[in-house]
Amino acid sequence: MKSALTLLAVLVVGTMVVTGQTPEQLFIQANQLYQQERFGEARDAFESIVSAGYESGALYYNLGNTYYRSGNIAAAILNYERARKFIPNDDDLLHNLQLANLMIADRIEPAPRLFLWDYWKNVKDAFSLSGLTWLTYFVYVGAIGCICAVAIARTYRTRKVGAFGAIGSGMLFLILLVLLVAKVSDFARDDLAIVIVGVTTIKNSPDKQSTDAFVLHTGVKVQITDRVNEWVKIRLADGKVGWMEKTAGEVI
Amino acid sequence: MKLRLFCIFLALTVSVIYPPRVQAQDPSFVASVDKNPVGVGEQFTLSLTLNNAGMSGGKNLQLPDLGKFHVMSGPNQSSSMQIINGAVSSSITYSYILQPKEIGKFTIGAATIEVGGKKHSTSPFVLEVVKGSPRPSQQTGTQADPRAEIGDNLFLKASVDKNHVMQGEQINLAFKLYTRVSVSNYTVNKNPALTGFWGEDIENPKNISLTNETIGGKQYRVGVIRRMALFPTQSGTLEISPMEVQTTVQVQSRRSLDPFESFFRDPFGQTMNHIVKSEPIKIKVDPLPSGAPAGFKGAVGRFTMNATVDKHTTKTNEPITFKVTITGTGNIKLLESPIVELPTDFEQYTPKVSDNISRQGGRISGTKSFEYLLIPRFPGEKLIKSVAFSYFDLGKREYQTLRSPQIRLTVEQGAATAVPIVAGAQRGDVKLLSQDIRFIKVTNPSLSRKGEYFYARGEVAAMLLLPLAGVAGAFVYARRRQTAMMDAAGYRNRKAIKVAQKGLRQAEQALKAAGKNGMQVSEQKLQFYTEVSKALWKYLSDKLDIPPAGLSIEGALFAVSQRSTNGDISAALKSLLEICEMARFAPTSLELSSMQKTYDDAKRLIVELERILKSA
Repeated sequence: MKSALTLLAVLVVGTMVVTGQTPEQLFIQANQLYQQERFGEARDAFESIVSAGYESGALYYNLGNTYYRSGNIAAAILNYERARKFIPNDDDLLHNLQLANLMIADRIEPAPRLFLWDYWKNVKDAFSLSGLTWLTYFVYVGAIGCICAVAIARTYRTRKVGAFGAIGSGMLFLILLVLLVAKVSDFARDDLAIVIVGVTTIKNSPDKQSTDAFVLHTGVKVQITDRVNEWVKIRLADGKVGWMEKTAGEVI
Repeated sequence: MKLRLFCIFLALTVSVIYPPRVQAQDPSFVASVDKNPVGVGEQFTLSLTLNNAGMSGGKNLQLPDLGKFHVMSGPNQSSSMQIINGAVSSSITYSYILQPKEIGKFTIGAATIEVGGKKHSTSPFVLEVVKGSPRPSQQTGTQADPRAEIGDNLFLKASVDKNHVMQGEQINLAFKLYTRVSVSNYTVNKNPALTGFWGEDIENPKNISLTNETIGGKQYRVGVIRRMALFPTQSGTLEISPMEVQTTVQVQSRRSLDPFESFFRDPFGQTMNHIVKSEPIKIKVDPLPSGAPAGFKGAVGRFTMNATVDKHTTKTNEPITFKVTITGTGNIKLLESPIVELPTDFEQYTPKVSDNISRQGGRISGTKSFEYLLIPRFPGEKLIKSVAFSYFDLGKREYQTLRSPQIRLTVEQGAATAVPIVAGAQRGDVKLLSQDIRFIKVTNPSLSRKGEYFYARGEVAAMLLLPLAGVAGAFVYARRRQTAMMDAAGYRNRKAIKVAQKGLRQAEQALKAAGKNGMQVSEQKLQFYTEVSKALWKYLSDKLDIPPAGLSIEGALFAVSQRSTNGDISAALKSLLEICEMARFAPTSLELSSMQKTYDDAKRLIVELERILKSA
């Protein structure tokens, strides 16, 4: 009886997925499953939204939570990192990601960088991509308005005010544009990956017979710097370099 | 004699209180003389001492041939038992007082005695008899300086079993105190400096046990102060520096005639401090031969190795103990931990090292063990590679390398709840671990299609281009407005001549009318000059782009002279303008013919000006 009910439930959920439900409705349903602590089903529901071709910060964040609850820390980190592209300064996300990173075996100390790098990163993370895009757009419109004012000004006074406005907003626009370009390229980058297998041996060259460089465990974030056949060259935050089998990691 | 009697008394007393526990030491039979050499006719004492034969003594004492001596008295038997620091030693002495008959070197042969059915004999020694008178005064009078007497009868000797060894080979070093006087106490002032050696004490007794030893016919009591095993850690000639010991010696008090003085004196006599020092010893140390294996770390001797794990199957996060034990003889304490290659994903700690040294038979041997605590973090089949340990075998004079077998381990997945907290986690991190993840987002997810970028949409392009279009519009508007303003002046410029000619035609009509009608001539005249003047001024205003209100004769002339170098035109223009001015205020004074001339001049002047101002 119970199994029949479960089957029914599965069928109902399944048909909901198949039948034309909007992804937003599916999202709400998945959230309800999560609240009922049916994390496996919630995870599948979130995954179906992703596989349908949708994405957002909240979606990846929630998916990460379901993986965390299911005990798959590597997948949780992967989804949190994906969510970070959309909502870089979300407090909940940063908290959960930090917590998940504590659960993994490898403790990698990032190589020290110039403090300016941190400033730059903080400034980048202070805006979401869409927020920064809108801000840049408004400054752009403002700059253009000022230029128009200079063009059609009848009096010297309005022309002066317009010129100052145009210079100021133009410079602000250029700064924001640089930031936006950096942000977009960050968003579009595909050279960061998370190790998803339990443990993988990093080799010194792309070859199974090569000597071992070090060992990485599930959940570690690596940067892919080169690709050769079934191997990827990786670099860790602390500067270590080696070759990893392509299947051992998944790109964020 | 006083002391000896006291000792006997003491021994008897002690033997009554404690039954005698004679140590299982072998009996020995020693012959000694109280002086060597002796003078002819001088009396001396030959003592045959039986040690450790128990209180029963020996049987069948047979003397050596004493034909060269007069036996003055003897045998005088005396026995003594000493308990020094719990060690019981007994001795029976048979003494003979002899007097040599002649000068020469005589061998005093072996004397034999039977103890418990076994024969013991003394070793023969040479006694020299010299010419010389006996010195009875010293014997009977005041005693010799006790310090000089001690010097001969008390010394410290360092000895080694070998003085040419390989690096790392054991040397046995012993410091012995030889005495013929009564030493009640000693303290080590200075221990030998063992530079270049690693030393291990074999014997460093708090209570020394004494044995008897005869050197050069003199019998000494010998006590081992310290016995050590030395292992040279470098090659070359090494020196064992002397040991210095301060002894407290009991000396017999001088005889006194005062009976009371002797009564109050210490019955053991006077004590005196005396320092003895051993001789330094040089040791030649050969270096180890070349060709040492890679893992060789200075172990010399003979060893065996054993590597074990406490279990072959474990679960993740449950520790395993991997133990490497090295057993053997040699410089075992100096052994360093062998190189152990462990699977990389094992968490390992520095090994726990323990050693167990045995000093049996004067050889340093024992075991040293290295315990590695391993915590597997991930499941799977793991392999501990074989451990290699190299040493130099002294017996074979070559290097040996021992290898342990490889060890296979099976690690199963343990409880999933175990969180690997890696060493090095920050305190804040640990605090954070106790927290849970935050709740999911339930607000609008604002989903977007994957791979579809906001900035690649058509609307965005439109939004970007629209303001640009606005700018373009603003510029076009500004441009047209400016053009319009510019055209007003140009239009006037271009139309100036036509306007002027039109004005002149009206002036011509006025002139004709003035010629026909004789009446109202002055009115016609005034109209004529007004028309000419208006046409001229209008023309100058339009052509020079100066508003009519701001124009004066001087201003107009200045503007014209700037455009043309021809002075005639300026002059003609000036006279014409003056005529017109004058005529407008006094019209009657002018004739019709001059009006015609004015009209012609004006017409000609305008054409001239048009040419000059256009070409300029």
